[in-house]
Amino acid sequence: MSAPGTVVFSDTSGDDQISLVDILDHVLNQGVIVRGNLIISLAGVDLVYVGLDVILTSVETAMRHIAATSQPPRNAT
Amino acid sequence: MGDHQKDMATELKSGERRVLYLYGMTQARLSAPVRQPGVDLDSQIEAVDCEGIVCWISRVSAKEFEQSLATNMENLDWLSTASVAHQRAIAALAQKTDVLPARFGTVFRDENSLRKHVRARMRELTKDFERVKDADEWGVKVFESAPIAATIPKVKSGKDYLMAKAALLPRKNAAQIPEEELADFQAALAGVAEDTAAPGRISGGQRGLSFQTTLLVKRSNRQQLQSVLKKFSKKWAATRSIECTGPWPPYSFVSQDSKSQ
Repeated sequence: MSAPGTVVFSDTSGDDQISLVDILDHVLNQGVIVRGNLIISLAGVDLVYVGLDVILTSVETAMRHIAATSQPPRNAT
Repeated sequence: MGDHQKDMATELKSGERRVLYLYGMTQARLSAPVRQPGVDLDSQIEAVDCEGIVCWISRVSAKEFEQSLATNMENLDWLSTASVAHQRAIAALAQKTDVLPARFGTVFRDENSLRKHVRARMRELTKDFERVKDADEWGVKVFESAPIAATIPKVKSGKDYLMAKAALLPRKNAAQIPEEELADFQAALAGVAEDTAAPGRISGGQRGLSFQTTLLVKRSNRQQLQSVLKKFSKKWAATRSIECTGPWPPYSFVSQDSKSQ
């Protein structure tokens, strides 16, 4: 929640904290669907059954996990 | 010898079968290579040419993203890590060029099946590229302001404390914005956006949420969007607050295959 009269802008391209619900809102709901019988799987939103409160608290875990593994490999050629 | 047919391109050293996980498509190859981990935080994203469209994929475990995808999506730790990684991979491309993001969890068995499906949708994809040119997606939410209470009053029991604390939370079913004010707000947003889309379904149950929308905004109009939001935020200072997230890749503004039929 923001202070009265101000807008909270969360910049996805910066260091701002984006809540996981916002990420899931954009990532899971939409996107190009390329459909056909050769597609072997397509994730349906209906498969996701998660409580909002749980989502809000688990974003921290995810971010920690990603921070720990997102270093580019040094030995890449 | 072996009657075991294997596609070397999707075969790993470890012997584990891999599938192609699709992140999105661009119209041009990028001049510099993209160093970005994929949805599994292990594979690297790479370009596959598909009839003039560049598809960005990484080779991920078939077990994790094909057989067990549905189960994995119900595991919140897995889902949160994978969806953030999916977003990061697409954002890395979007920083360089316009991208059509793929829906989370779209995988192909091999390059041929990917090419075949891209070819079949070429006309829509070309239109989509035109639509999202130089534009980003933004999420806008309006919340009912929480009642202003300085501190939790002195209480005698733990139960009293929790009840006092709960009373400070925004209500679960937030009050609707009066019709006229909402129409004004939507008209102002429409003035700076190319298009609007239905908001995502995940955060719909957030406490105090009165209104939510998704906008497609040209990069040259970003300042104007911020001005509109600031203006309404001042106007609503006593009753409501506004949150805005972005820029997102245009997830909500790509055509949904044969859904509208």
